[in-house]
Amino acid sequence: MAKPKKGTSQERNEFIWGWAFILPTMIGLIILNIYPIFKTIYESFFKTGDFGRGNVFIGFQNYITMFKDAEIWQAVINTFKYAIVEVPFSIAISLVLAVLLNRKMFGRSAYRTIFFLPMVAAPAAIAMVWRWLFNAEFGLLNHIFGTSIKWVSDPKIAVFSIAVIGIWSIIGYNMVLFISGLQEIPGDYYEAASIDGATGIKQFFHITIPLLSPTIFFVTITRVIGGLQVFDLIFMVMDRNNPALYKTQSLVYLFYQNSFVENNKGYGSTIVVLLLAIIMIITVFQMIAQKKWVHYN
Amino acid sequence: MKNMKKFISLGLVLVMMATMLTACGSKSGSDSNSGSGGSGKLTVAIWDNSQQAGLQEIMNDFTAETGIKTELQVITWDQYWTLLEAGASGGDMPDVFWMHSNEAVRYMSNGILLDLTDKISASEKLEMDKFPADIKEMYEWDGKVYAVPKDVDTIAMWYNKTMFDEAGIPYPDGSWTWDEFYEIAQKLTKEDGSQYGFACNPSNEQDTWMNIVYSMGGTILKDDNTSGFDDPNTIKAMEFLDKCIKNVMPDANTMSETGTDVLFQSGRVAMISQGSWMVAGFKANDYLVENCDVARLPKDATTGQSVSLYNGLGWAASATTSMPEEAFQLIEWFGTKEMQTKQAELGVTMAAYDGVSDAWIKNTDVFNLQPYLDTMDNIVFRPHTNATLSWWNPMVEELKKPWNNEESMADACANITKQMNDTIAQEAN
Repeated sequence: MAKPKKGTSQERNEFIWGWAFILPTMIGLIILNIYPIFKTIYESFFKTGDFGRGNVFIGFQNYITMFKDAEIWQAVINTFKYAIVEVPFSIAISLVLAVLLNRKMFGRSAYRTIFFLPMVAAPAAIAMVWRWLFNAEFGLLNHIFGTSIKWVSDPKIAVFSIAVIGIWSIIGYNMVLFISGLQEIPGDYYEAASIDGATGIKQFFHITIPLLSPTIFFVTITRVIGGLQVFDLIFMVMDRNNPALYKTQSLVYLFYQNSFVENNKGYGSTIVVLLLAIIMIITVFQMIAQKKWVHYN
Repeated sequence: MKNMKKFISLGLVLVMMATMLTACGSKSGSDSNSGSGGSGKLTVAIWDNSQQAGLQEIMNDFTAETGIKTELQVITWDQYWTLLEAGASGGDMPDVFWMHSNEAVRYMSNGILLDLTDKISASEKLEMDKFPADIKEMYEWDGKVYAVPKDVDTIAMWYNKTMFDEAGIPYPDGSWTWDEFYEIAQKLTKEDGSQYGFACNPSNEQDTWMNIVYSMGGTILKDDNTSGFDDPNTIKAMEFLDKCIKNVMPDANTMSETGTDVLFQSGRVAMISQGSWMVAGFKANDYLVENCDVARLPKDATTGQSVSLYNGLGWAASATTSMPEEAFQLIEWFGTKEMQTKQAELGVTMAAYDGVSDAWIKNTDVFNLQPYLDTMDNIVFRPHTNATLSWWNPMVEELKKPWNNEESMADACANITKQMNDTIAQEAN
């Protein structure tokens, strides 16, 4: 393809306007995302001094400490446990809800609004409410079921209880994305399928899921990343004295503890770099795997 | 490829939204900050909600007297230090704020706090010799003074009168021993788990278990700045505590989920040991007003001592404040005898100023606060080193194990000893 030596004035114009339109986003990304990423990687090689002064270069020492630190690996396990529960359940539930709420039915907007509401509430407020629902002594859940399960302080189940909150708060958002995807699917397919005698369930698996796969893929990618970054729910629900904390704290929680509570920003940065690496690897695998199951028309 | 494009544009919109949201956030943040410098308003930051009303009144008096406007912000304990740290690392700090023994050295040695030495010696209103020496020294570094003492706090035992009546036990008069305390707690613990004698979390250090350690002749930190957890008396006290955990307290899950003060307020626990700083909040609670009162901490039978830890906050100012003169005027105002008395009278906290805490005892007639003052004859300053938090937090963390029966108390003490000594040795370098 022969490149034009000199663009026409219209091409130049489009070039300038194109950049002008993405400039706000670019600046935001560079200042708020890209620069901090490199700054964090840089700081992970330092023993940071108080108030960001007197940083001492220590090479890979933080990384060596981290790889020997059992707490970190427990946090990796905790983070994965959370994500493995939150992501599939939130996607499956919201997919079913989206299909149900995509039909013509009475009170459709009301239902959609109700399911989307958790998304509007502040995560901290949600966590506070759930903390009391889960409370073993006075909590509503134990009261209704007549049980005395220690939802958030039994090390075996606490991380799953937290995941329940995560699922509950993200369903509405996933659902809205799925509904918009569903509306892209032409009605003819369903019509043809029902003439051929396909049941609703068959239609769901053979028409809806394949044609919705780009949206499902997008939601999966963003939810896996979001799930691995879980912090606020754990921070708000788990008290420092909580015996289940060790088996519940996520990587971001440990990052917060180290960076902002213990004031060891260098080590905190190292933890975040580990998380970044994990997320990158998983996302690359997802990108490769999508060729097998995502259909772009 | 239509869908792929949509996917990308959706992603871009999301990123843009996130950028916009954060941009909005930081904008409103800088607005409020420019308000503090530009319009000549002093921002004051504290972490205790229950002291807000009283301090606001004292600050209103200050504004009426000097014409300097002030703005009081209350931030929760955890976020307070995150915010201050961020401010000190290059952002905006409040002009005047509280300092705590956990963090004071770090802030003083890095020049984050305004040097008040000359201003204090030139002041006609401040009488520094009226403040407790331990607290004054806490806020001195390298011969310079960085904060004016705000208050002192001591520890006493809260008990539920109704539960004592029900069990036919006379109210404690402060002459009891820890062994008698344990027997009472046992009697007040019901088999069905509906009521327990006592409650204490690993993080109830200053207000509960450290007092037992010092009463029994142990120590947290020895004079040579090494760990006191290998001291036989400390171990004895921790073993006593262990006995309480196993026999007269709710299980660790319950205490951590609900909090010992909430358990006490909801009538599940008969006794808790708490600091004087909690009184302002407790007197607003109807259940506590009706059912509860205060006694001095028990003595140890061997040493005959009833020891309370004490601590005191200081009023400090930011070294980068745009109004150092006004900031000092406010700190000076808080430190005068009149305002220290007023602070006590309003029931905010006990005063740091010598001899005016009687007014605090009289701030309420629903509780007998005299034990908090009586205990002043046998007090130990809250243990601290130059970087207290670096060993303090792991210490609390380690204690969660015996609390949960994952480790014996003796092993926990041995681990804490090693860990503390390592950390404190690093501090010196």
